[in-house]
Amino acid sequence: MSDLIEEIKKNLIAGRVDSEDEGFDEDMTGQPGVTELVKQALEEKIPASDILAQALTPGMEKVGRLFEDGEYLLPDMLASAECVAEATEIMEPHLAGVDIQSRGKFIVATVEGDLHDIGKNIVATILQGSGFEVQDIGTSVKASQIVQAVKESKPRFLGLSALLTSTMTHMGEVIDLLKNEGIRDQIIICIGGAPVSEEFAKKIGADIYGEDAFDAMNKLEKLA
Amino acid sequence: MQNRKPKNSPFRGLDIQRHSFLSDKDCRLIHEGSCQLLEEVGIGVTHAGAVKLFEKEGATKQNGRMFIPRMIVERSIQQTEKNIVLKALDSTNNLGIEGKNSRVHYGTGGQALYVLDYKDGAFEKKAAVTQDLIDIVRICENLENVDFITRPVEPNVQDEDMDLTKTRIFLENTSKHINLANLIQIEKLPEIISMVQNKELISFIACVLVSPLSMAESTTEKFIRFIQEDIPVAISSCPQAGTTAPLSEVGELMQVNAEVLSALTLANLVRPGAKILYRGIPITSNLHTNVSPRWCQPDSIRRIAIISDMTHFYGIPCCGTAGVSDEKEPNPQAIAEKTLSWIFETASGAQFINSALGMLEQVLTVCPEQYIIDDMVIGRIKQLFLKSPDYNLRDIARTGVEEALSMFGVQMDSAMKEEVSSRINFIFSGQEEYSADHVQAQADLIKKAIISGKSSNVFLKTSRSGLRRGWLYSGKRFEGRLELEDLHLLKTEILDSYGN
Repeated sequence: MSDLIEEIKKNLIAGRVDSEDEGFDEDMTGQPGVTELVKQALEEKIPASDILAQALTPGMEKVGRLFEDGEYLLPDMLASAECVAEATEIMEPHLAGVDIQSRGKFIVATVEGDLHDIGKNIVATILQGSGFEVQDIGTSVKASQIVQAVKESKPRFLGLSALLTSTMTHMGEVIDLLKNEGIRDQIIICIGGAPVSEEFAKKIGADIYGEDAFDAMNKLEKLA
Repeated sequence: MQNRKPKNSPFRGLDIQRHSFLSDKDCRLIHEGSCQLLEEVGIGVTHAGAVKLFEKEGATKQNGRMFIPRMIVERSIQQTEKNIVLKALDSTNNLGIEGKNSRVHYGTGGQALYVLDYKDGAFEKKAAVTQDLIDIVRICENLENVDFITRPVEPNVQDEDMDLTKTRIFLENTSKHINLANLIQIEKLPEIISMVQNKELISFIACVLVSPLSMAESTTEKFIRFIQEDIPVAISSCPQAGTTAPLSEVGELMQVNAEVLSALTLANLVRPGAKILYRGIPITSNLHTNVSPRWCQPDSIRRIAIISDMTHFYGIPCCGTAGVSDEKEPNPQAIAEKTLSWIFETASGAQFINSALGMLEQVLTVCPEQYIIDDMVIGRIKQLFLKSPDYNLRDIARTGVEEALSMFGVQMDSAMKEEVSSRINFIFSGQEEYSADHVQAQADLIKKAIISGKSSNVFLKTSRSGLRRGWLYSGKRFEGRLELEDLHLLKTEILDSYGN
């Protein structure tokens, strides 16, 4: 394995997207991060498939193990997942013809009237880092806009987030609208957010309640 | 039973000598950082009326963000009403809230979704309904240490009827100051004023700010209407360090301060001399697990108490926060963490301590028995402060937790005592340097987070070094079994006295 690939893997495990990122053990600000290193590797004609197979995949597997052991916390996992997402985007044009297994398209939105995006962003980043094709359509998205996005992109999964008790009701509205459009059964709907619960998910007819990003990821991975 | 009023005062409240965590120099640094944020990073504003008011005074808007010159902010701080009287139907329950004094009052908080019912020695969680609002207001009317009542749960009626129903329930069931918190439909305000007849009897809380540094449009409209009516409003901002603010105490404080000051500025543009309570709630996120808010852990207790240093620095009345347990049910852990939070918030001199009673599971759940527990412990804490005017805060904190647990049948062993000391030490010990360089670094981080469009990811990622330096407290739990049967009987007795 080339030193550069090893360096990409090391920085991925440290969760450093670019040179502006500090590490967590020491201040690494100024040193190249994953995006710079991936660009350099591509310039040096290292095949994108090698970067994927020898740096990103094993790097993320190690992060997963560290997280399971309790050595890594949520911010560490998120930082590494973001590295994978950014690196994949840079490598995309170079991966034509390489067989990459996507876990499925996932549209995610915070429902109408709710500007809170923490849960949505974490879920989006973590899922992207674990192989889902994520389309984040933003915050305070109207039910009709969400349904429109589903019709256009035909995702396998739809994630709805809400933090407010006053906005969580819009989740049910989205599901009702999907039913009216006759496309409810074509997608798996996952909901999350502080005020929602398993019971609420059942009540509005969602398929999955994600207690947190990892719970959502575990449940979605089983279906992917 | 304690006297309701301090000697020589027409008002309720506990007069104490306040404890400061920050020096005036530290407060000045935070203020400077906040002004810099408002001038250089700006605040997201979409409400057309607010935009017009800001621009008229020389603020400029670009890419949806309003850049507010320091001069307007500092003028607004000067203009803000420094002393507010919050009246009650029974005038002996009037509250004198003075920005430079440290006369402390305690009240409820809310918009909880759930209520715990105590049945056969266990708690059952259910969705809150109208009768719960009636019961809780009645219980609090009878509790000596509840100085004001903030709407704890909403009635389960149609949106159209919610605001008038809750106002009627308050008027029929309490003689204490009424804090209606929020209105579902602002159009109902004239009817509410007409119902209460004297608008000095009510106040509100406006969650105008969405962290980081943004104003929510619909709440801005409500906020402006309250100010136009000259009704006191608490400006609420509740960032969570590590997700909607930097994990750093310094960074979070300057951000929450900038957020509250932006709304305070708007208030004084609407009506110079606005009656504002400063309600900054700089809590932390649980970065160890699922980023849920940590309301009652030592890091949050310290940061919330420091807010009072800022309000005293400005001389603006403080709407404090204490006693919001992270526990799901009444238990020794809830009592211990609530007690520490009441003690430090009381010592900080926050004049109007909201959410102080009944609250569990962050702010999602309330419990009738918990109101009674909390009232009893707050009463005991008041006695500890009154016993010695030149108190030792560490001693009060240690004794307070021990006595609070003992009141409900839990005796502390040496491990529990050690844990109390560890929590107290954390609250006292500042982990960061208050310096111009650190303030600048945090301002740069907040700016970067906002520009990125995914601020929570930036705050989460940059929290890793702080996490490893121990900026989030991690300790042991307080276990044991509470004796609650008498409290249940007391609750039943209070509610039965109303005859239904």
